[in-house]
Amino acid sequence: MLPLILAIYAGPEELALIARLQRRDPQALAELYDTYGRAAYALVLRVVRDRAIAEDLVQETFLRVWNRIHLINSEKGAIGPWLLAIARNRAIDYLRSSAGRERNLIELNETDHAPLYREMEAEIPISDQARRVKAAMDRLAPNHRTVMELAYFEGMSQSEMSVKMGQPLGTIKTWVRTALQSLRDELGVAVTS
Amino acid sequence: MNCDELRDHYDLYALDIAEEPERGEIRTHLQRDCEVCMAGVKRSLETVTLIGASAPWAEPSRQLRRRILASVGFEQRAGVPWWASALAIAGLGMLALYLGVSGKQYEQTAARLRTELREQTAQIASLTEAFAILSGPNTTEASFGGAQPMPPQGKVFLNPVRGVLLIAHNLPRTPANKIYEMWIIPKGARPVPAGLFQSQDGRAMHVQSGAVNLATTAAVAVTVENEAGADQPTTQPVIVAALPATPR
Repeated sequence: MLPLILAIYAGPEELALIARLQRRDPQALAELYDTYGRAAYALVLRVVRDRAIAEDLVQETFLRVWNRIHLINSEKGAIGPWLLAIARNRAIDYLRSSAGRERNLIELNETDHAPLYREMEAEIPISDQARRVKAAMDRLAPNHRTVMELAYFEGMSQSEMSVKMGQPLGTIKTWVRTALQSLRDELGVAVTS
Repeated sequence: MNCDELRDHYDLYALDIAEEPERGEIRTHLQRDCEVCMAGVKRSLETVTLIGASAPWAEPSRQLRRRILASVGFEQRAGVPWWASALAIAGLGMLALYLGVSGKQYEQTAARLRTELREQTAQIASLTEAFAILSGPNTTEASFGGAQPMPPQGKVFLNPVRGVLLIAHNLPRTPANKIYEMWIIPKGARPVPAGLFQSQDGRAMHVQSGAVNLATTAAVAVTVENEAGADQPTTQPVIVAALPATPR
């Protein structure tokens, strides 16, 4: 779990790394991989559950970051969360595609949402809270934890979860909201609603 | 919908499970840089990103790092490597000094070469993606325009993991403020946008990276759209490549 936390809480040297990537410095890509490669791989593997496919998707993730690095603000950007979001999107996209499920416009999301990853590390909760994530997930009621895992790691819509779990859609929506609120409460993240 | 009505859906949006119309509304707010929604979704993304921390620890193979670096031309001998261009910049700098070229001229030359270096590196990355699709074991292909003498001709290659590669020639020049847009057309469903590109001297190569389901894809098409692209085709396609019934 630690590398993922490091990916989220990277220090200001990350900005210099972004600037070097934007100058097309391949050594910067090597450093980017050394910092985030294993975290991205662990995340993607959890989603696709196939080592070879996971490595292909991680390679694709880094290539996308390399080709789209101009979208990140070199003075305020947070490349770690952005990279991990791309990795998850690639993995979920593969999962949906291979299962013949509806795909979302992930390409649009990744390009349009890059500004969201600006100054993110400054607003992310402190690291001891991040270390409580797994414990917080474990403390969720089993059904609540399941919907979180199905949504995040399986990329399932609420309707798909309803079918898979044999529960009414309204029940699934309640579980999702309750689980997210519980996580917020556990993690002490600023409440948006 | 206003921001107050959308705030309950930021978490769902960050989790990619928000439903319409809220999903589209939030996207619209983000696209117009709505500060309230930007801040709300960003906070939600921070929480959602943390959920990934519950993934079990796993170690990739040692080869993965080398593969990734090779895919951008680093540690790669073929083609025009990045260091060759960098060496050229340094060499020309020395030459300019030797010949007494003015500082301004040197700056202009260096800037042009830096631009070329960036373009070459991007081209190498694009070619690497194209090569990965072409060489993929599960890649299938489809031709278009073969029976007609003048319209666009070429091939599309689809790899279930890598994405779609389109190679075309005889492409007419697009009108001003227009661009080509590729579409992946699922069987019985609406076309999915697959990237924008321009032709050069009637030729074009376009790569759309990402997983593609060969079993549910009926065709790949190209239309001419406004420069910003479109969510759905607005003109008749200039290219339609129907996939074979059974991928090879």
